[in-house]
Amino acid sequence: MAEPLIEMRNITKIYSNGVRANNDVTFEVRPGEIHALVGENGAGKSTLMKILYGMEKPTSGEIMLRGKPVTINTPHEAIALGIGMVHQNFMLVPSFTIAQNIVLGSEPLQSGLVNSRKAVEATNALGKQYGLAVDPNAVVDSVPVGMRQRVEILKALYRGAEVLILDEPTAVLTPQETIELFAAIRQLVKTGKTVVFISHKLREVKEISDRVSVMRDAKMVGTVDTADTDEERIARMMVGREVFMNIRKPPTQRGDVMLKVRDLEYATEAGVEALRRVSFNVCANEILGIAGVEGNGQTELVELIAGLRAPLAGTIALAGNTIAGNTPREVRQAGCAHIPEDRLTNGVALTSSISENLIVDRYTQEPFTRGGFMNPVAIRDNGDRLIEQYGIRTPDGTLPVGSLSGGNMQKVVVARELSSQPKLLIAAQPTRGVDIGASEFMHEQLIQARNDGVAILLISADLGEVLSLSDRLAVMKDGRITAIFSDVNALTEEEVGLYMLGIKQQTEVEIEQNL
Amino acid sequence: MSAAQITFDRSAERARVAAERRRLATIDLVITLATILLALLIGFLVMLVVGKDPVKAYQALLTGPLSRTLRTGRWLEDATTLIILGLSVSIAFRARQFSLGAESQMYVGAMVGAVIAIYVPMPPVIAVILPLICAMVAGFLIGLIPGLMKAYLNANEIVATLMINAVVFRLYDYFLTYVFTAPGAQQIRSEAVQPNAVLARIGDIFKFNFGRVNTGVIFVVIGVILVWILLTRTPFGYEVRTIGSNEKFARYGGINTKRTIALSFAIGGAIAAMGGVHLLLGVHNRLIPGMAAGLAFEGIVVALLARNNPLLVPITGLFYSYLRVGGDIMEQEAQVGAEIVQVIQAVIILLITAQVLIDLVKARRARQTSQ
Amino acid sequence: MEQALQVIFSASFIASVLRVATPLILPALGGLISELGGVSNIALEGMMLAAACTGVLVSVYTKSAWAGMLAGVAVAMLLATLLAFFHLNLRADLILAAIALNILCSGATTFVVYLVTQSLTGSGDKGGTSTLISQQMPFIEIPIIKDIPVIGTIFSGQNILTYAALILTALVALFLFRTRIGIHLRAVGENPDAARSVGINVQGMRYLALILSGFFAGLGGVFLSMGYVKFFARDMTAGRGFIALAAVYLGAKNPWGTLIAALAFGAADALSIQLGNLKIPTQIVQMIPYIATIIALVLYAVVQRQRAINRQRKFRQAV
Repeated sequence: MAEPLIEMRNITKIYSNGVRANNDVTFEVRPGEIHALVGENGAGKSTLMKILYGMEKPTSGEIMLRGKPVTINTPHEAIALGIGMVHQNFMLVPSFTIAQNIVLGSEPLQSGLVNSRKAVEATNALGKQYGLAVDPNAVVDSVPVGMRQRVEILKALYRGAEVLILDEPTAVLTPQETIELFAAIRQLVKTGKTVVFISHKLREVKEISDRVSVMRDAKMVGTVDTADTDEERIARMMVGREVFMNIRKPPTQRGDVMLKVRDLEYATEAGVEALRRVSFNVCANEILGIAGVEGNGQTELVELIAGLRAPLAGTIALAGNTIAGNTPREVRQAGCAHIPEDRLTNGVALTSSISENLIVDRYTQEPFTRGGFMNPVAIRDNGDRLIEQYGIRTPDGTLPVGSLSGGNMQKVVVARELSSQPKLLIAAQPTRGVDIGASEFMHEQLIQARNDGVAILLISADLGEVLSLSDRLAVMKDGRITAIFSDVNALTEEEVGLYMLGIKQQTEVEIEQNL
Repeated sequence: MSAAQITFDRSAERARVAAERRRLATIDLVITLATILLALLIGFLVMLVVGKDPVKAYQALLTGPLSRTLRTGRWLEDATTLIILGLSVSIAFRARQFSLGAESQMYVGAMVGAVIAIYVPMPPVIAVILPLICAMVAGFLIGLIPGLMKAYLNANEIVATLMINAVVFRLYDYFLTYVFTAPGAQQIRSEAVQPNAVLARIGDIFKFNFGRVNTGVIFVVIGVILVWILLTRTPFGYEVRTIGSNEKFARYGGINTKRTIALSFAIGGAIAAMGGVHLLLGVHNRLIPGMAAGLAFEGIVVALLARNNPLLVPITGLFYSYLRVGGDIMEQEAQVGAEIVQVIQAVIILLITAQVLIDLVKARRARQTSQ
Repeated sequence: MEQALQVIFSASFIASVLRVATPLILPALGGLISELGGVSNIALEGMMLAAACTGVLVSVYTKSAWAGMLAGVAVAMLLATLLAFFHLNLRADLILAAIALNILCSGATTFVVYLVTQSLTGSGDKGGTSTLISQQMPFIEIPIIKDIPVIGTIFSGQNILTYAALILTALVALFLFRTRIGIHLRAVGENPDAARSVGINVQGMRYLALILSGFFAGLGGVFLSMGYVKFFARDMTAGRGFIALAAVYLGAKNPWGTLIAALAFGAADALSIQLGNLKIPTQIVQMIPYIATIIALVLYAVVQRQRAINRQRKFRQAV
């Protein structure tokens, strides 16, 4: 048995607001292995790695590198020790070029000034060495997401990382790009690097890793050899109870067309193309899923329908009424509700109370406002009712939303949107950053709504989720709908992945048939 | 329903939450008072260092405004204007818009009010109401300009309002010098407003020397109530507060953020104009040069110290005015420049906005309760 | 009228533009650095005022202009450090803390001037230091250039700080785009998480951004009271600290753009002084630079919007 390369012993981390993110965690990494670190959201795995990378300091515990104790106070020190990290949210400067981003912090100098030519050369050399080619002079802002991740990896390698920590690296990749990433990881390991792989995609964990460590509720539950276990067992370690991997969904009859999108076109204010001639229908009593790697226009599509942006061309009609170019309020009044993909930015106001968050789409209506004045009793009663109905864990609806956990915040969003009794519900990445318990709840709510006659447009980068929930499935790539499938049961993840990557594409006729 | 089916004792939880809130509010208050004491201490030390008699100075500063009814009157009159101004900026501030245009809005209100109050003969009561309404409309419009610029063009409102202040101030000076002042007059000032328009001095009513405190104090009472109702009980207030909490969320929820933001500037302008009218009809009874003289900025500070809460603005306004008037008295009696009060005020602001002090205390409590 | 036009399009007018623009260019450079570092500095006004006051007073006591300049700049940088400390370490709101600093400087400078004039001349003067004798930063005649017609009038005989302003613009551009620290500063302003993740000291960079802005504000203030005129007057900065910010926005947050914008404001200011000689009331004339700024703000916003719309349209045609 090889001697551990990294040992984190009895790590405890308590934040200043009292939250205990790591509780006496012990974690070790052997040289040359691919070690997966799994756990639900909030289990503590990101925090543990942040400690290893010097972005957080442990409240107690120690770290050993090659048998010697080390203190890592800053990322700078971690980098010096050969530990590199590729984050979930890319840490790139948008207006800088790829080369500038890769050398950021250790720019090559010539007589005191920065030598940009050397930076470009270094980038090209690295790309060749590890099989991760990039264009050094491209501005990061204009480059697709998969490319940005490569830049992140090259950044770590440029600084001489021996250990690479990858935080949810496949969250934004297609199955094919994931295969490429895994090939790159295996190549890195062959050259002597060690990889720590944070994920909650168990299928990938089973495929790529040598060992798996499971965390739950800030504690380390255990470490197993991947070969000796399966996804079910890992899941049970993560959650501690039976997890239903399959979502039960009774078939229903499709209703009338609710949402009709035709020839939608949009470019962002930066001039970047986002949508090209997008068309599809969503009917009552059905869930239309849109699969696609993030960054292919889904965000813009949702915002266009919800009224947050105006299309350059094309039509959007809800229950027969045109809503393209309408304001968010008009769209909501037409019967559209929207669970936004980024709840912290758009879905809630952290310092406002829960009850006030619950009425933002209806505060001008009775009983909340009458005769020009608002009725605080009605607001409070409504809040209490929804809190009860949706099981939002809070003692008091007058507390600020910021006091809730991620899953409960999402419940507030869902409670508000569903209780508006919409004709159309747009659910964008509804379970992102939400723990398994709340995710299950979310899925149940969506299916219930669909059974009750709501037309649901589901956008998700989680292929498993979108395949399980959708009645029909569309695929978006580069701002276009490249496929629509009426029969989801016959599809496999691999097949959909091919469409997501653009390798396969339906003809216009096929798409027309399945609109 | 899924796993989260835990029932807990609602009323007990509610009581605990309410008690915790009270505790936090007390901490807030204590820290605020401590801050004021610290600032006063710093001022004390500065005076000591420059060789002045700090005891005499502080005696004048802290007790001066109460020593004579004339001075108390001066305090209340100054506070009236400041509170009105504080109310005016608090609305835009609640929406996280830094509208610093109270000065221009005051001057415009005073000018428009003066035109009506001086030259248009009116019966009593109307002679106050009409100039007031016209002034508030004018203030509304002036406030609307930077409001529209910010809401629809996303122009930096700090620079815009400061520039408008500079322009309007000079306009006021121009009009006062060349239009309102009679040609050949000794002093630069307008004619007096008609007697019907004058807000009676409280001192005159009760026959003692109470300075220039006048019935305009009513404006304060009405203002506080109106602004409180506006912010907490009207849809507009809900919009303002939601925008202040998260503008993107407000937009997503359907709020017309552009309109609300522009209106928050404008309504603030109308209220600031009310302050100008108070100066015109209650304090000076005519237009004089430099009438607003830095009051607008102090009004901004009053609002900030009150955390933009309309119920607290009168308290901070009274406190701030007390220091100002005390400062003048201090200069008179102890020969210490009144500007030291500005220094003290600045220190108070700096310390109060240093969030970390409050957070530290709250964090310690959180740690105690989580273990 | 013709006479006025003759005056305006003369070399001596352009020379005056350079002079009038100097106390705008310098704080604008400071504002640019702090903006790019992600920490807007609204207290440029107060820092300039403090530097102007300190410079004059120190030069009164030491009889040395350079000592005054060093002291003035030091005080401005100290204030910037204070602002940085309150915002970065004590988590005070940047805008509120800056407002507090402006109030502090306005009060403190008048207070100190009152004290000093009281002790030196027996009677306290709140208006300024006109009763005291202070020094001035030197004006420089450049040999050879000074004899060239037109160019000589414009570029020779300016105050040393005016030349400094022009040279510093180039240095600032070099700093921001070709040095490690400058690049790090811009990275911090644009994506502090990215900077932090590669080991850049984000807090340190923000401190640097503010302290540097204090440096430039200090130079600008020193020029006001020891180059432009030879005394300190109460609140003499008269909003220049805010016009400097407007210049940064107008200049698209770029060193050369900022320089041009500051020169434009200077031109408007110099113009208003000239027009004052034409029996136009001073108040109207003084309004011009401020109105110019408002128009500039609106134009800038409108142009930005139009550009975005054009970019969207171009895509449409390509499709």
